[in-house]
Amino acid sequence: MRHVWSWGAIILGSLYFLLPLIGTVEFSLRMRRGEYSLDAYRSVLADPNFHATFGFSVVMALLTILLGVLIVVPTAYWVRLRLPRLRPVIEFVTLLPLVIPAIVVVFGYIRLFNTSSWLPLTGTAHGTNLLLLCGYATLALPYMYRAVDTGLSTLDVRTLTEAAQSLGAGWTRIIGQLVLPNVLGAVMSGAFLSFAIVIGEFTMATLLNRPAFGPYMQLLGANRAYEPAALAVIAFAATWGCMGLMQLISRVFGAGRSAK
Amino acid sequence: MTFLVLDHLQKSFGSTRVVHDFDLHVEKGEFVSFLGPSGCGKTTVLRMVAGFETPSEGRILIDGQDVTRLRPNQRQIGMVFQAYALFPNLTVAENVGFGLKVAGVARADRADRVAEMLELIGLPDLGARFPWQLSGGQQQRVALARALAPRPRVLLLDEPLSALDAKIRVSLRNQIRAIQQQLGITTIFVTHDQEEALSISDRIVVMHRGVADQTGTPREIYNHPATDFVAGFVGTLNRFEAEVLDRGTGRVRVAGAEFSLNRPLDGDVITLAARPEGLALADEGIPAEVTGVEFLGSVQRVRATVAGREVVLDRFNAPSAALPEPGEIVHFSADRSTWLVLARGD
Repeated sequence: MRHVWSWGAIILGSLYFLLPLIGTVEFSLRMRRGEYSLDAYRSVLADPNFHATFGFSVVMALLTILLGVLIVVPTAYWVRLRLPRLRPVIEFVTLLPLVIPAIVVVFGYIRLFNTSSWLPLTGTAHGTNLLLLCGYATLALPYMYRAVDTGLSTLDVRTLTEAAQSLGAGWTRIIGQLVLPNVLGAVMSGAFLSFAIVIGEFTMATLLNRPAFGPYMQLLGANRAYEPAALAVIAFAATWGCMGLMQLISRVFGAGRSAK
Repeated sequence: MTFLVLDHLQKSFGSTRVVHDFDLHVEKGEFVSFLGPSGCGKTTVLRMVAGFETPSEGRILIDGQDVTRLRPNQRQIGMVFQAYALFPNLTVAENVGFGLKVAGVARADRADRVAEMLELIGLPDLGARFPWQLSGGQQQRVALARALAPRPRVLLLDEPLSALDAKIRVSLRNQIRAIQQQLGITTIFVTHDQEEALSISDRIVVMHRGVADQTGTPREIYNHPATDFVAGFVGTLNRFEAEVLDRGTGRVRVAGAEFSLNRPLDGDVITLAARPEGLALADEGIPAEVTGVEFLGSVQRVRATVAGREVVLDRFNAPSAALPEPGEIVHFSADRSTWLVLARGD
């Protein structure tokens, strides 16, 4: 009896996730009347805007991950080592991006860094990209911080630090060679989420007027019939492909190095 | 020559003072143990030497250099922790070589030194393993090798044996002592286990409530405890209320039995103490009622009560000697010199 229920739950869950996906795939193949074809995919892949925006978003996603790691790993480490009482506060701060809508953040950015402000970041494309990067890193913060903090909880941070210090190591070496490699798995899981968020992000990229993949998807969706479905499938596959690649890289780098 | 000087160290956390006026001079190559119950401040003193805590007052000198304000990574100190603290992402060889790498030793020299250290701890073939593939005893030996590899000036051992099981504890402590003597490295060893401290130290500092109660060789500490606390903490001690009959000759009466200690005494009622192995069964002496007998192989342990207090007597096993029965009245005696007169007070 129990088996029936658990199989039922699995089937129901699978249908819930797979049906829309199957539907999208099916629809994306019906561009040519009366038969299945890959015309919609050809059309999307031939569009230079697709390449430009997707490339832009992938680069932004990787930079976001890098920035996130640089901010989160030392912070989470330091909080665990020296400011354990501040942990709830820091945790609350990192959760704020879930509560504050992206649109509020981006309007704040525009108000603070517009061309007539003390730091006119929105005046140049690079400046705006930097602003967008910071926005993305903020959006990814809750996931990154949680993942890294959980990873750190499996280590005896204080004793490992003291052992390294007694052997002459300074902070850069401790964080770079001991803390980061030991939380790499956690960092990667945070990175997956960051990547997925950035690839599809719409609000910030639109309001900062950057040629990202999210606004491109929206534009295409508003103007075409079959291509958006094909684009969704491609984006889905590409995102999973990139995640798989990151997983592979972390496996290769961490070969035999992961405890447990 | 004095190599490590702890000059009137004090440490307070907030308003609680955990170390009071701690003063110690350690010779080069000496093995000194800090012994005391948990919370006595022994680990805090060790951490001040390592640089993880800053003394509220006082100075620390290593080889004439004042290191009191130096950061831990500038002190050239080797430390071994209770929790091993091996780096989980590095192999055994990389762990041992870590300090050398930090010091900028060339790769080839590093490999030689790592091999030498692994040889020293008796694990020459385990260099490629990861810490989680080793037993606790092996991990702690690797931690020792790692601490020793960069040739530290002082070796600090923070309860390194406490996480291990009894058998490994004994063999590893002997190995630690052998390596320490072979290298002639100045060592401080923190422990709450008196047997550990007695067996491997040149000198022991018995600590109690942030104060060094007594500093001396293991024999001095055991045979001539300076305070009541030291007497009670190190080894088992039997206490007897004694009525002083003659202060000059040291004639006393214990539970009705009279004998002389042959030394001048103060006070009318004093506390006498004797180690279990200092007491003997005799035809006459302090009367005691046997409550139990334990046969421990090489040793027989007789438990009895004298004037309501529990007293323990240890004697070597002898196949011909009969064991007393519970309920039997026996008589305890002890050599005059083995009696300790405990200071009154705490």
